[in-house]
Amino acid sequence: MTESTTIEAPPPPLEVTRILVEEDATPVVRLIGCTLRDAAAVARDGGDELVAGFLGTVAVRSHDTPQAATVTLAGDVVEVTSGVFLEPTASVVVDLNARFAPTEEPTGDAELAAALLGALRRPMAPWRDAAARFWAATREIPGIPDVLVVEATGPDGSERGRFGEGATTYGIAGPADLLSGVFSGADDFLVALAAGLQVDGTLSQLSVMTAASWRVRFDV
Amino acid sequence: MSELTRPRRAVRLEATNHEGSLLGKNVSPTKFRVGKDSGFAFADILFAIDLNNEIVLGDAFPDWRGNIYDIQMVPDMATLVEWRPGLDSVIGDYWLKDGTPVPICPRNLVRKLVARLAERGYDATVAVEIEATLFEESVQEARERGYRDLTPLGGSAGATYHLARSSDWVVYMDAVVERLDQIGITWEAWTDEAAPGQTELNLAPTDPVRLGDSWARTRQIMREVAFELGHTVSFMAKPTAGFGQGAHINISLNSDSVNRFFAGEGPSDLMKHAVGGLLATMAGATSIVMPQITSYRRLVDLTGPPTTISWGVNNKTAAVRAITGHPKYSRLEYRLPGADVNPYFAIAAVLAGVLAGIERQIEPPEQVTDMAWCLPASSGVSRIPDTMSKAGAALDADPLLREYLGDEFVDFWVASRRWEWMEFHTKGGDPFAELSAWESQRYFEFP
Repeated sequence: MTESTTIEAPPPPLEVTRILVEEDATPVVRLIGCTLRDAAAVARDGGDELVAGFLGTVAVRSHDTPQAATVTLAGDVVEVTSGVFLEPTASVVVDLNARFAPTEEPTGDAELAAALLGALRRPMAPWRDAAARFWAATREIPGIPDVLVVEATGPDGSERGRFGEGATTYGIAGPADLLSGVFSGADDFLVALAAGLQVDGTLSQLSVMTAASWRVRFDV
Repeated sequence: MSELTRPRRAVRLEATNHEGSLLGKNVSPTKFRVGKDSGFAFADILFAIDLNNEIVLGDAFPDWRGNIYDIQMVPDMATLVEWRPGLDSVIGDYWLKDGTPVPICPRNLVRKLVARLAERGYDATVAVEIEATLFEESVQEARERGYRDLTPLGGSAGATYHLARSSDWVVYMDAVVERLDQIGITWEAWTDEAAPGQTELNLAPTDPVRLGDSWARTRQIMREVAFELGHTVSFMAKPTAGFGQGAHINISLNSDSVNRFFAGEGPSDLMKHAVGGLLATMAGATSIVMPQITSYRRLVDLTGPPTTISWGVNNKTAAVRAITGHPKYSRLEYRLPGADVNPYFAIAAVLAGVLAGIERQIEPPEQVTDMAWCLPASSGVSRIPDTMSKAGAALDADPLLREYLGDEFVDFWVASRRWEWMEFHTKGGDPFAELSAWESQRYFEFP
């Protein structure tokens, strides 16, 4: 087991492609917006810019609920809105609880669909980086514990991380990839609990951690 | 016969949780005698479950909530009635072990505001118009059908005030008011309402706590009578994809047994300030009086419910209608609440607005003398928040409602509505349907 020290959160990234989300957006619109903003931040830091320069609209539909959104790509601006009210250039059907994994072959403009799915399905940040960002992003949520203690299991055994200082502590343990998903907002916290994530804290802290996970997943 | 000598098999303890459902348990007469003063233990989870029995998450619990603690329900013996032969029922309030009220207890919240009003020298008289829709099918059949495609009781043609409803509809309503009479709930009128199968039942003006009790019990009676007659009743804000249904609250303020909303001509200054407070808090109060996803589907111009934050003398298209000019009947009609509201929270929201207005002498905006629906933006009249998320944000940001209802209640309520919004969108609700199956499953039978 490797013990680590507290990691300071990195500065908030700037965006290359502007991601716009409509007012009073639904969760799926917020989720797409957050994910694309993360992708844009990766591009700013030297990663591939996957959606810049594309033109067209992509319908994104959930495979098991009525959730749907339209992503309009217009060069360096991407806008996400609720529902699908026009004939899109491309359509994708995805599992929103599996990191936008397509459940059907995309229809329409295959290149456009692939570009959007590429942005929505970027590789996860390492769990330690994701945890640091998560902790920094959720500090002002009322009742949030002071310290996050993470135990991640991977092919090489388990690692521990401790984030923050203070009197109240919350423990989260699980597979490293699942932790990356939860901390980055790619995975739903409550769904992850059913998938093997383990927590050590009070019911009240679980409630607050739910709010924290919604903050990074949906920006609410 | 005194309440302690009347023979009975059980006493039903009753109180609403935050959703407005009448919750409780039946206890033996011996158990009741032992616990009626000290209270009965209920798990705090009753304030933490949604209408699908999921634990509501997303906020920091106050100290009195832990890993599912007990809170005490103390019966208010003034509410003890013989519900039916062999069964008494009594309504209670939730208290903490230190003797302070549970801050989010709906009935205690009303009591707190009544007390604040009394400090100002006023008492409130309130009444409610309860709307509900009746269906021919039994609740078992309704469940099998997913609460869809049901047959309106009394015929399918909707026509307000129609007296030619078939006798099954009349038999049902006669049975309801007979039960109300038996347990001492004073009703004033019932009638055919706009939608097929819809009725409006008016409870008589009384004090706010008593009205909350009567309102909650009336819904219970309407359900029980429906069960007995093999029919179904729903208080959903929109039980079918047609008309919605509301719960208008009428209020006046008195001192020395005189209605202080009355003035010789038009509204009194006190009434104007009450209107000012009700309108100043209306955006935030929307979250409370329109509690469910379906509540917002009512907000359609020209269909009955108000859509703008507006008031007017004798203007039923406005959110607050002022009835003036009569020494006894001068009052305000708050037309925003849905039929699915928690009765106590609805009354509390109205009292909070009235208190804010009279304590701060809030002047109302110009009354709307035209139709208050479909107003252009240039009118300067704001729209009522039309989604649960908008209304929740308005409540969260409302300093007046935070003062009068308390931060703990507001934080709790905002979080619980965020949970509801999230459940709807991520668990199968369809925001683009006129009424989704998810809503029917969740809201048709409760609260």
